[in-house]
Parts: sequence; C-alpha cells; structure tokens
Amino acid sequence: MNVFHIRYRNTQGTLMRILNAASRRGLDIPYVQAEPVEHTHQITLLLEVSSKQVGQLCRDWNAIVDVIQVRAGAPLKEATQVPLWTGTPYPPAMAHISDDTRASAASA
Amino acid sequence: MLKGAEIVLRCLRAEGVDLAFGYPGGAIMPLYDALEGSGVRHILTRHEQGAVFAAEGYARVTGKVGVAIATSGPGATNLVTGIADAKMDSVPLVCITGQVRSALIGTDAFQETDVFGLTLSLTKWSRLVRSIEEIPEVIAQGFHWARSGRPGPVVLDFPVDLLKASMEFDRAAAFIPQSKPAERYTDSSFCETLIALLEQAQKPVALVGAGGKLSGAVESLRDLLDRLNIPTFATVHGLGAVRPDAPYYLGMVGMHGTRAANMALDETDLLLVLGARLDDRVTGEPTRFAPHARIVHFEIDPAQLDRVRRCELPVIGDLAETIPAVAEEIANFELPDWSSWRAVACGPGRAELDPRGLSQPTVRFLDELFSRLPENNVVITDVGQHQMWAAQRYRSASPRGFITSGGLGAMGFALPAAVGVQLAKPETTVLCISGDGGIQMNIQELATVKRLGLPIKIVVIDNKYLGMVRQWQQLFYQRNYAETDLSDNPDFVEIAGAYKIHAARMGEAEVAEYPMRETTGDAIDRFLRSPEAELLVFDCHPEANVFPMVPAGAALSEMVFEEE
Repeated sequence: MNVFHIRYRNTQGTLMRILNAASRRGLDIPYVQAEPVEHTHQITLLLEVSSKQVGQLCRDWNAIVDVIQVRAGAPLKEATQVPLWTGTPYPPAMAHISDDTRASAASA
Repeated sequence: MLKGAEIVLRCLRAEGVDLAFGYPGGAIMPLYDALEGSGVRHILTRHEQGAVFAAEGYARVTGKVGVAIATSGPGATNLVTGIADAKMDSVPLVCITGQVRSALIGTDAFQETDVFGLTLSLTKWSRLVRSIEEIPEVIAQGFHWARSGRPGPVVLDFPVDLLKASMEFDRAAAFIPQSKPAERYTDSSFCETLIALLEQAQKPVALVGAGGKLSGAVESLRDLLDRLNIPTFATVHGLGAVRPDAPYYLGMVGMHGTRAANMALDETDLLLVLGARLDDRVTGEPTRFAPHARIVHFEIDPAQLDRVRRCELPVIGDLAETIPAVAEEIANFELPDWSSWRAVACGPGRAELDPRGLSQPTVRFLDELFSRLPENNVVITDVGQHQMWAAQRYRSASPRGFITSGGLGAMGFALPAAVGVQLAKPETTVLCISGDGGIQMNIQELATVKRLGLPIKIVVIDNKYLGMVRQWQQLFYQRNYAETDLSDNPDFVEIAGAYKIHAARMGEAEVAEYPMRETTGDAIDRFLRSPEAELLVFDCHPEANVFPMVPAGAALSEMVFEEE
C-alpha cells in the first residue's frame, strides 16, 4: 500500500478527477479522506499500486488544473489503523412482499 | 443589460472566435436566438458529432481553439467522441452545451444528462455554470486551459435559465492562472547532460511527434535536425514537421511505419523524442521498444513521461523554448562523426521493398493523387487501412498538412473535419480520404458540404469491408471475417448524387500500370481541380492489406511485409 497526499483547490470536479485517475486503472481505494487545509483542500488516498503506477498517478494528478501538490510515500500509521468499512457490501435488500399480499394487492 | 446568451457570444468574440459549429435544441435555444449580429458565424452540421469533428478540423489546421455547440442530453452525449478525440490528439477545443434549467438539474428532467460528470475524464477542464455572473470568468478560463500547455478539450455547460437571465455587462474577463510549483523543473542545465549523451552515442536517432507543430516550433526543430543530421522519423501526427526531402528523414515510424524507421529505432543507442507521447502504436511491445537506447524525452506534459519506458533525461517544457535552447548550446559544439551509422540507417539497403507500390493498386492510386495535388493542400483521413496507406505515402513539408484521428482512431472523423479545414482555409485544396466504413459514420455531412458550397475533394476507398479489422482477422484470426463484411454497401456515387454532389468511380485496373494511363491521370486532375465538391469512389480489392505491419505484442523489428 502506498499513501498519497494531494493538495488541491476545491473547484468543481477536481476531487472527482483525482479519484478518477485511480478508478480508470481499476484500482480499489480502501482509504480516502478529503479535508480543508489552510486555504486549500487535501485528499489522502491509500492505494495498492506498482512502482510504475506510482509515477504515472503522480504525473496524472499533477496534470489536473487545480491540483497544487502531490506527495507519495509509505503508508501513514493513522491511515492504516483506520478500520476498513465492515458494513454489508450490498444495498439493503428489498422489503419482502409475500405472495398473498402481492395477490391481494393485485386484486384490489 | 444583456442576456446570458449575449454575454456568452460577446465573450467568445473576445476570445477571437468568429466561427462555431453546432446543432440547436431546446436547452441551447437562447444562444441560437442571440446569434444573429453577434459576429460569430455558426455552421449547422447534420449531427453533433459532425459539429465537434468540424471544430476539431478547424482547430487542427489553424492552431486556434475550435468551438462546438450542442443542446443538453443527446446533443451533449453526441459530442463525447469528439471530446475524447481532442484529448488524445491535444486539440484545443471548447464545447458549449445547453443544460436543463437550474431548478431541474438532478431530477432526470427531459433531455438532462450529467455532461459535466460524463466528460470529467475526457476534458482538461470543465464547468457547470451556476450563475450568470460567472459566465465571463468561466469562458476566459475555459479558453485559457484549452489553448495553454498541452492543448485539450474543455466543456462549458450552461443551464438554459442562465442564458435567458440578464445582467449588466461591461467587458469580457481576463484570466490569470495561479502557478503550480510542479510545472517547471527543467532548467537549461539539461543541455550539458544532453551533450554528454550525444558524445557517447554511436547510433543516435530522433523521433518527431506533434509537439513541434503545436508549439509553433517547426522551423527551429528543422534547424536542429539539420544540425544533428541523424536518422529521423515521425509519428503520424509528426508528419510534415520534418522536411520530407531531408536526407536523414526515414518517414513514419510504428505499427505501419517504414522499414528503415523501425529498424533504426530498434538499433539506436540514443533516442531523442521530440514532442511525442510514445503510444503503443509507435512503440510496439513496450518492453522491447528501443531496447538498446537511452531516451531523452522533450515533452510539455509531464504526465506523458515514463509511460512505456523510463527516460534518462526528461526535458519538460514547451518545444518553442527547449529546442532553441538546445540549438544554441550545440551550435559551437563539435558533434561526433555519425556518418557511418547514417549511411547504414538511411542507405539503400533499407529502402522500401516496393517503392512504387506496384503490388498494391490503392497505394499506386494514392501516390498519383498526392503527386497531382496543388502545392497548397491539406489531406484529412478517416481511420483504417486508407489512413495508414495515406500516412505512408503522403510527403509534405506543410506542418499542418496531414490531419487524422490518431490517438482515438475515431471512424467518421474525416468528412466533418474536412468541413472545418475548408472553412478555415478557403483557398486550399482539401482532400478528404475515407473508407467505406468511415464515410457512412458521418455521411450526412455531405449535406453540410453542399449547403456551404465547399469544394472538398472526397475519396472513398471502397473495399466492401471494415478493412483494417478484416486484415487483422485474416492475419491473426484465421480469416474469420466476423461482422466486417460490407458487401451490401450502398452505391456511393448515387448517394453523392442525392446530395447533388458530382461523383465518379475508379477501379484498380485503371491505376495498375506504371507510368499511369494518361486518361486516368486526366480524370484525377479534373477531380482535384474542380471548383466544386467532388466524390471519387476507388474500388479496392477486398483483401488488400497494409504492409509493413508490426503485429500486436511484437517488437518493431518484427515487421511483416506480406501474409505468411
């Protein structure tokens, strides 16, 4: 896992462009945090990437108009300690309607 | 007080826009209502994809920003292929889309699409405008990003209520970008490293891409190449940047490049990449690309570096600055003697195997066509076999003389792009070469050609197949011609007639001899010199192939020259 800190101006779509650089490569994003920092914003990403992809990602991010600074490094301690989301991986199931209810609704 | 639509048009004029291509619809109607008297000439195409390709053609041949206009929903989604094309080929483009009114955004209203979201990964910059007050600043910023650095596409999405609203308007805004610390990390000291690499090199070569053209550095690039006098070749977008008669010039490189260029690239120990992305069509199998070479990569977009191979010396910056800096440094430097390497790489032993194209009548036809073109010409191709044949045979010193959809490879590009080129260059002979597959993807633009009275010369190379796909099926899929048969094509001569465009047909027999029959030559001359639009169908053998060819996954040295 590599950690990336990207400082950016929070203009329309900039955050999405940053995330898209990862998603277009089919990368999972197990950890992401975006927050205001001084007069700009910063996003911290944790990604499983090859060393070649580190370079490609950093250059792609730097090419985004409102990205100010990109830093890459080893995983941050606090980032790795944040538990991954453990909720159900699917949306809530549709409410069950019994066949009897469905039939009576249809005949009403 | 001015309406938002009028402000948009005034801001476009302030950016130098006098021509825009588009197609009206509900959400963009206020802009069309304000067009008359605005100073912006609007070209109505017959499909939004035609509009965006025409805007691209205009931008590619002039270097100015092309403008395409469409309505919300399907109008906007029809622009997407052109936007992707502009991104890949670094074309300055601003797309203006109407959007449903602000209160309805996000409600899945009629003809609502999230054009901002769906083009995020294709655009260099984009905005969904949220207030009329933003309009001047958004347009100034959009044009700045479209034309600055590595040019690219921008989308500006205007909710219809903002176009109808009014406000006081004084003048268009100016945009001054905030600098980024990462933008410049190359200084002139790179020249010392470059000279050291040149001193050590035994077999240096230069690979020229579109960067020199885009930055207006063609003359200084040519001067540098003359000074270096090393084997040089070009990508498909670099064609025209190098003088074709230069003794060191080896033609196009890559999947369908010349034998000499690909061999030199395979053997070189120092590769100077001058404004090229190095995509897979140029490199062949990346792990076997230029296997012995150190790479010096001149590039304006840092994102393009080290994509396929790590370069020893990245030179980040505009070629208009970096090339003269190199030229100045080496002006008084005694370059090593590379004459023996040059004699091998550029010598007759590596000449094309079939220099007259006698084994391939379509190539003979294109040779004849190109040789008879008036000097002031632009050739636009579609995508496929004809594109590669044309790229192999077209030799011009005009930097913007060969226009094609290279990176995206979008069929249907040529005809609408030719509309944009001809409008930008009314005195130029514009030759549009398409295939029977590609022409049918935007054939409706014949109506635009006729309506505007554009004297575009359209050639349809008709092999009744999706030829390039069929070629791959033949060579790599055991001749399983799955869904590439177009033998039920319509009669393109009759179709042109329906649009009231004169058309004729020519066959392989008419070009098979060398030299060519006088009657055939006369027919080509008449076609090229007609004051009106003309369409010429060339009936090509269904199984004609483009060679040389580097199979997918092979190294450039593993070119094939015929079906094995």
